[in-house]
Amino acid sequence: MKTTPEQPEPATPAPRRTPDPKRFEASRLVLWTDAFMNRFIKVGGLLVVVTVIGIFVFIMSQVVPMFQSAKVDVEGSETISEQLPEGDYVAVAVDEWGERPLALRQDGRIFFSDLGGSGEIIEADLEFLEADTISAVEAVPGSGVIAVGTEQGGVHLLDYAYEPVFSGGKRTIKDTLSKAYSGTVEGVVRELGFGQSGAARLVVTLVEAAGGQQQLLATLIERKRSLVGSGTWKETAAVDLTASLRSGVPVKSIHVTNRADSILVIFENGEVDYHFRAGSGTTFELRQTFRPFQDLDEQKIANSGFLFGDVSLVFVSATGVNRIYSLYRSEDEPLRIFHQTKEFQALPEAAEFFSKSLRNKAFITGYRDHVSLRYATTEKVRWEADLPFKVEHALIGAKYDSLLFLTDERRFHRLVLDDPHPEVSFQALFGKIWYEGSPEPKYEWQSTGGSDDFEPKLSLVPLIFGSLKGTFYALLFALPIALFGAIYTSEFLHPRNKIYVKPVMEIMASLPSVVLGFLAALWLAPILENRVPSLLCIVFLLPAGSFLIGWLWSRQPQSVRKYVPAGREFLYFTPVLLLLLAAGWHLGPFLEQVLFRVKDSSTGEMVADFTRWWPTVTGTPYEQRNSLVVGFVMGFAVIPIIFTIAEDSLSNVPGSLRSGSLALGASRWQTAWRVVLPTASAGIFSALMIGLGRAVGETMIVVMATGNTPIMEWNIFSGMRTLSANIAVELPEAPHHGTLYRTLFLGAVVLFILTFTVNTVAEVLRQHLRERYKTV
Amino acid sequence: MKLSFNLLNASIMAALVIPAWTRADEVVKVDPSIPSYEVVSGVTGNLNSIGSDTLNNLMTLWAEGFKAKYPNVNIQIEGKGSSTAPVALIEGTAQLGPMSRAMKSEEIDEFEKKFGYKPIEVKVAIDALAVYTHKDNPIKGLTLQQVDSIFSSTFKGGGTAISKWGQAGLDGEWSDKDISKYGRNSASGTYGFFKDEALLKGDFDASVKEQPGSSAVVQGVASDLGGIGYSGIGYRTSSVNAIALGTSPDALFEPTYENCLTGDFPLSRFLYVYVNKNPEKPMDALTLQFLKFVLSQEGQEVVVKDGYYPMPAEIAEEVVAEIAN
Repeated sequence: MKTTPEQPEPATPAPRRTPDPKRFEASRLVLWTDAFMNRFIKVGGLLVVVTVIGIFVFIMSQVVPMFQSAKVDVEGSETISEQLPEGDYVAVAVDEWGERPLALRQDGRIFFSDLGGSGEIIEADLEFLEADTISAVEAVPGSGVIAVGTEQGGVHLLDYAYEPVFSGGKRTIKDTLSKAYSGTVEGVVRELGFGQSGAARLVVTLVEAAGGQQQLLATLIERKRSLVGSGTWKETAAVDLTASLRSGVPVKSIHVTNRADSILVIFENGEVDYHFRAGSGTTFELRQTFRPFQDLDEQKIANSGFLFGDVSLVFVSATGVNRIYSLYRSEDEPLRIFHQTKEFQALPEAAEFFSKSLRNKAFITGYRDHVSLRYATTEKVRWEADLPFKVEHALIGAKYDSLLFLTDERRFHRLVLDDPHPEVSFQALFGKIWYEGSPEPKYEWQSTGGSDDFEPKLSLVPLIFGSLKGTFYALLFALPIALFGAIYTSEFLHPRNKIYVKPVMEIMASLPSVVLGFLAALWLAPILENRVPSLLCIVFLLPAGSFLIGWLWSRQPQSVRKYVPAGREFLYFTPVLLLLLAAGWHLGPFLEQVLFRVKDSSTGEMVADFTRWWPTVTGTPYEQRNSLVVGFVMGFAVIPIIFTIAEDSLSNVPGSLRSGSLALGASRWQTAWRVVLPTASAGIFSALMIGLGRAVGETMIVVMATGNTPIMEWNIFSGMRTLSANIAVELPEAPHHGTLYRTLFLGAVVLFILTFTVNTVAEVLRQHLRERYKTV
Repeated sequence: MKLSFNLLNASIMAALVIPAWTRADEVVKVDPSIPSYEVVSGVTGNLNSIGSDTLNNLMTLWAEGFKAKYPNVNIQIEGKGSSTAPVALIEGTAQLGPMSRAMKSEEIDEFEKKFGYKPIEVKVAIDALAVYTHKDNPIKGLTLQQVDSIFSSTFKGGGTAISKWGQAGLDGEWSDKDISKYGRNSASGTYGFFKDEALLKGDFDASVKEQPGSSAVVQGVASDLGGIGYSGIGYRTSSVNAIALGTSPDALFEPTYENCLTGDFPLSRFLYVYVNKNPEKPMDALTLQFLKFVLSQEGQEVVVKDGYYPMPAEIAEEVVAEIAN
């Protein structure tokens, strides 16, 4: 500021006054304002605290329901049908609303129950058996088909379908039944397996001829499907698998997958055969024979069945041991075969019934009145109880909202199941889980898939890892620059220049992170992709060059050095640094030619390409949008914050300390490093922590500048998915109060805890430092 | 069109295949029996669409055409991905939910829980999920089993790993060339469809490069001589070939409109728009008119313009009848 010389005012001697006692009293307004502000600030502070706690309570209220266990109100929610007519019921099925279950009697009669209304029993018109008895049946839940084999060698497929009808605001369920296919075999059908995809049905029968010889026959029925419609079903192949049977070992049951390409034959001695048909072929190969309970004394399989998706098989042994075998291909095997992946808490006895859920990986099993609902992904028992009735058949409602039982008194009992988040457990969120089809347990985040039988993978560990990785690389870049920048600016730079530097840095802080992210993704990432070697050169050249120049300068005689006054060293330093920068940039390609040569697989020649050299040498991928880009750009967002606060705390060190140090003969550098820096350490530490907090929570830059891949590797040339980016990306596709929605909130809680811990530790350390370097 | 020894077909094939595939080669005509759109009076208001990014261009083009007919209508379109459509319909933030896959049962459950009925699925266009190779690659077609062997690590189709073009039937200088694979990211509906239909629900090989969008896949293949990738037919350019696919080596089919309709091309699918309609009440006029426009002659011409395939007349008629009642 310039001061303009002013005309001196005429000196008029002030009249002497006697001091008025009231002069020393504060005015009423001041008192009132003081009192008001005192309360206002207190209330305001309290409100802030309350708001923060309120937000935390809200987030927790969104998260906590996720951990509730399954609830089944046996007494309160029960719906019971009337009694079915006398007879043995061999199969049950139900519509997706659980309102109109059907039961198939051994003589082929079908009865519906109006569970949604009065519970009355309605006999269906369809008659498909004439004086014959059902000897084998397969009713896969949700398939819409009941496959039946009879004592006289009949094989029938019954189609059932349900459709809602609305009238007057009420929904009623209409059923349709029809016979889809009939065939015959020579002998009694002892066991039957059935599976269908959209274009193929596979019926597998174990037929016992009059002499007691057994045959295993597979019939393939196919149709052509197109967008316009489907053709009619035609029997296309009959395969005899009798050769795979063992003499003297009866078959217990047969399962067929929903792609109609695999047959699982379960033998009474606890052995399982896995037959597979490749693609559209009509020949089956025996891929695997295994015993699920090989290591136990009792190897017999009491009950078994596929989980939803038909990739995993659930087995319950004759003593109640419960295991899951999944299909996967391990490193050293050429084919996908079954391996054990899970073991549940054992049932007290052998299981008599088994059924799967049609929405997730839950299944129900048990014996007599003992029922257990289990969830495969988390390996947890969701609900287990002794019911007041004996169960003959059990089903899980199609929407996973009810359990349906047919009792030994021939009544349907429907219980309401309240289990909105079965896939959640502490292990699933923070531990390793052995997912279907994976050769080993792992941490994985993949929340949504395109198909119904997708198994959500909800481990937060890769996201926490991503947050830490992004922060690490950002600070790796930002910390040295910001801190050394602050030290230089406050201790060495001429005050005339300093007044420009600080505001410019603060303007940098006001750049919106979307803009930075945009620049990173569309401008910086493609440039860096071709220039990694240049970057390596620069990283090496800049510090090395600086030291060299500093040293060279200090060797110059005083007569040369006097031309650059103290605080203006940047005048000669900046051009040199820029030169070094340019040199590094242009040296990069030469470095690449020399060091990063790799064999081009298509031409067989050696080419210089860092992006291809890196994966071949380290085995980790090179991605265009990687941690280096994020570190760079997030560094830009963090540098101004760290710089400003650090610079403030350095400038606040009393000048007397500096003067004293210089007066005692210390150099400027010694003063800065030994006197000023320790004194300001508390403030610098705060700067660091605030920068860290900013980096952990940064969202837009990460969303835009990385591929958002939830991987767990420290590789600087691969991306990451941070907790905050994950929330931004996935919230629009998370249904309210769904598991994903709540898991995203849990991500927010984890983020909160992360920053809270960092801040608390920082505050404690800061207090400690302040105590230690208390000067004034 | 079947790739057989039929002379007539062979000559048509020659005409189609020998010049590089370009959009101009194949003239897809909208069935003239689909009626043109008739403007009705009293249609005003706001229409929001949230959903698939595959359908984003189409929705924008339809919205432009529709606005030209009804200047008082406002249409906002957001295309963040198919999974955002069900949530938007449930929350009521959009009337239209375009999706490149069918809605999952779980999403339908959520919808039904709130409204008591299921959302209505409106088929709006046909897409052939084509497998693309570089335009200089001489390969004509692959069986689904070969496709599975190239892209999967599980080989559910029953083959063994294919990593060089020689193993896929090429000889000469191509026999030793590595296959470089491009695919979509796991959140995409296209990824899921390809995984279900071509990989038979198996898993992708780790060497498949995941691209953020359909056009990135095509670009990747176009710039990589040994490249292969999959994407919607709407993304075909002159620098890639959309190769023939089939179940056996002597029955391979080009991803043409006819082959999609007959079901001979194995990776054809519908594109959908989901709407919320109470079964007991008629649909609101604005949504209904928009969908009618989409399924009209004008609307289906837009589909062709964007590179996808139009609806056959009888299905379009069925769909219109279903939404209009």
